[in-house]
Amino acid sequence: MNDRMDRRWKRFLGVPRSALGSLVILFIALAAVFLLSFLLSKTPARTLRYFFIGPLQNTYYLGNMLNTSIPLIFSALGVSLAMRAGSFNLGGEGQLYGGAFIATVSAVAMAGWGIAGVICAIVLGAVTGGVMAAFSGYLRMKWQTNELITTFLLSNAVSLVVGYLIAGPFMDPATNLIATRKIPESFRFSRILEPSNLSSALVMALVMTVVVHLYLYRTKSGYELRMYGLNPRFARYGGINSGSYLVLPMFLSGALYGLGGAMAIFGTYYACMKDFSVGMGWNALAVALIARFRPVAIIPAALFFAYIESGARNAMLHSDVTFEIASIVQSVVFFLVTSSVLQRIGTKRERG
Amino acid sequence: MSDTAVTMHDIVKTYRETGRCANDHVDLTVGRGEILCLAGENGAGKTTLMKVLYGMEKPESGTITVMGKRVKIDSPLDANRLGIGMVHQHFMLVDEYTVAQNVILGREPMHNRFTIDADAAKRLVDEVIHAHGFSIDPSARVGSLTVGQKQQVEIVKMLYRDVDILILDEPTAVLTEQETASLFGTLRTLRDTGKSLILITHKLHEIKAISDRVAIMRQGRMVGHYETASVDERELAGLMMGKSFSPAIGKTPYGRKQETVLRFAQVSVVRRNQGRPMLKDVSFVARTGEILGFAGVGGNGLGELESVLAGTLPISGGTITHRGQDISKSDAHRLRERGLAYVPSDRLKVGSALEASVSENLIIAARKRFSRHGMMRGKHIMQHARTLIDTYSVQGTADMPIGTLSGGNIQKVILAREIAQYRDYIVFSEPTWGLDIASSKFVHTQMIALRDAGASVLLLSSNLDEILSLSDRVLIFSRGSIVAELEGERLHTVTKEEMGAYMLGMHVREAAHE
Repeated sequence: MNDRMDRRWKRFLGVPRSALGSLVILFIALAAVFLLSFLLSKTPARTLRYFFIGPLQNTYYLGNMLNTSIPLIFSALGVSLAMRAGSFNLGGEGQLYGGAFIATVSAVAMAGWGIAGVICAIVLGAVTGGVMAAFSGYLRMKWQTNELITTFLLSNAVSLVVGYLIAGPFMDPATNLIATRKIPESFRFSRILEPSNLSSALVMALVMTVVVHLYLYRTKSGYELRMYGLNPRFARYGGINSGSYLVLPMFLSGALYGLGGAMAIFGTYYACMKDFSVGMGWNALAVALIARFRPVAIIPAALFFAYIESGARNAMLHSDVTFEIASIVQSVVFFLVTSSVLQRIGTKRERG
Repeated sequence: MSDTAVTMHDIVKTYRETGRCANDHVDLTVGRGEILCLAGENGAGKTTLMKVLYGMEKPESGTITVMGKRVKIDSPLDANRLGIGMVHQHFMLVDEYTVAQNVILGREPMHNRFTIDADAAKRLVDEVIHAHGFSIDPSARVGSLTVGQKQQVEIVKMLYRDVDILILDEPTAVLTEQETASLFGTLRTLRDTGKSLILITHKLHEIKAISDRVAIMRQGRMVGHYETASVDERELAGLMMGKSFSPAIGKTPYGRKQETVLRFAQVSVVRRNQGRPMLKDVSFVARTGEILGFAGVGGNGLGELESVLAGTLPISGGTITHRGQDISKSDAHRLRERGLAYVPSDRLKVGSALEASVSENLIIAARKRFSRHGMMRGKHIMQHARTLIDTYSVQGTADMPIGTLSGGNIQKVILAREIAQYRDYIVFSEPTWGLDIASSKFVHTQMIALRDAGASVLLLSSNLDEILSLSDRVLIFSRGSIVAELEGERLHTVTKEEMGAYMLGMHVREAAHE
């Protein structure tokens, strides 16, 4: 590419060239929405209007959309942290579910502790997710198992156990829902955009994004983690203790998932319902992929995913399409982000 | 019909990644029914030339004639069709399959379009095995065979494809003496049935033992074709190594007070399932203010020595001490803390993280110095990077990914980092491999400057010119042991032919007396 072209690309919409690939993917996804509306709806114009404008038309929908993005942000941060260290954490769903469950039951048990109870419950939730993921990292360090598989299997097993606990010993007898008791009212995060569900957990999500960014790019441990992820042999050559970077990033990754689960409970659901986390892990993976594992890019990516979901929900309420339109569009995105060719658009071509 | 099987004319092949010309207008002829050894040092371009013939590499120019016909070979399949087969150094076999299944893979006898005729397969493979006097059972599982037998399977695989020209890439590298003898027997039988064989090798006694003719390559060029009977081993070594001496770079003779920095005592490395130790009773001392050169042909222990020095290969016997303290069991982490500085031979896979920035690459071993309370000190890091980029005139900026730099500049970054890191000793492994003359000279100047400043410099190199022009003392490795130590007057008068003879395992006894 010559210089003039180069400059023009750089100027394009004022975004860095490296983000172009992701933009192309988002564009194709939105085109899919158009296509599906014309195919599936008798009133495509109405469908499209509610799909695109709906989520933004009032504070209720806007707030709910933002709220949907919160667990996505936490989870995508979790995916990215492991990925930066060269590890895969596919067990996010179970870690999120397990973290949420432990956070809920500890909050119920520590009802009288006040603010200390809130902190303790959330920390316990995070640690639960962290320990689950770290276990897979440890197995890899010890016996070179594949963490991609162990995290996934472990997560599925834990999900079943948690499901049993919620439906059995910990079920709230006062309701007909398959859910635990609700956490004490004083523990719940405040709503920040009535009448929507949006809670102050959003602030936590933003803070955590900044924290993860600072950790990766400003701390010595983050530097070591990234170098290990980029080239383990180089890290070892430089004297970085390689074993710990198989376990620590997995712990942090799982902890972020657990934290995401706890936030969903404390901000939105107040009780841990059976299978409430289904789908969150995979969506988070897609979000992280779009953001290419860069913490700061996760926020717009998560908002985009939440937007698609809210749009579909809106179109479903006000027009004649089903909610599955969201799943289809998200699948399209998922499918496209795995294409390295699209991801590379605008970046330097690989040598060789 | 002529009696040449293959003629390669004016082959040029440059590797784009490194810009190195691996084959520089090379000619090669192979006669029918002869065994030709293609000989040369590591990196002389032998394997590249054979990959061109086998359709694995595309040359920029040149022509190939097979059995009198001009041909174009774009893939190994093309090569097979023309009757050319190759046995690679690393076997390409499916362990879970039987010998027969491996042999027919890709060219199966069929009942019809969908089912393989297993009986015919076994019969056909059996015929090939018996016709050439091999000793393998076609129904044995390949995973249960010895290395020598696996190699036979590879050869049978090629014969099953009716090849008349067989290329073998360093076939004896993995074999025991007995297996080698038996392989040579097989090769002679094949030759007598009219096959043409090309052996890539750098072992002198093997060239003498097996070949009819020998073609010698050096630094990408063809030195010439010789009747094996007309040259002796010494001449062969000379042809492979080259005769010219490069003028020594001006340096002051060392006269400083010399202290021992590093001491190896009877260090051995034995790997499981491998009879021959990779390093055997290696003892030496490295002192301040000298460049200690380690010479050897690939596969003779220098690679293992490098890993031991780097702390990534545990030793199985002996002791290593640094300034009197035992570091035999120290890993890379501990050695780095003690001030290990080390320029690795593999700059891209070990020496750098290509996607990380130059500044990040520069602090890998010194990261403690650039952090406070666990936080990286961004300003210091950038300043450090800019200073080093300036000092070493690296063409690039601190925040560029190091992978976007040229090979020579990557090496400068690594040098800058390790020189900034060194305390009393520094290890260089193949420091100028693949670099152009200007970059090589820069590296050499840096090494001499380090030595003059009192560092103990360890130079591991397969480049004899480099070893001879820089070292104050040279240790020569062959088969994992030190076979000679050259110093002072002896080092000044030694010829490359003599060096080659030591490195290739001749005169071991003489060396012991010296």
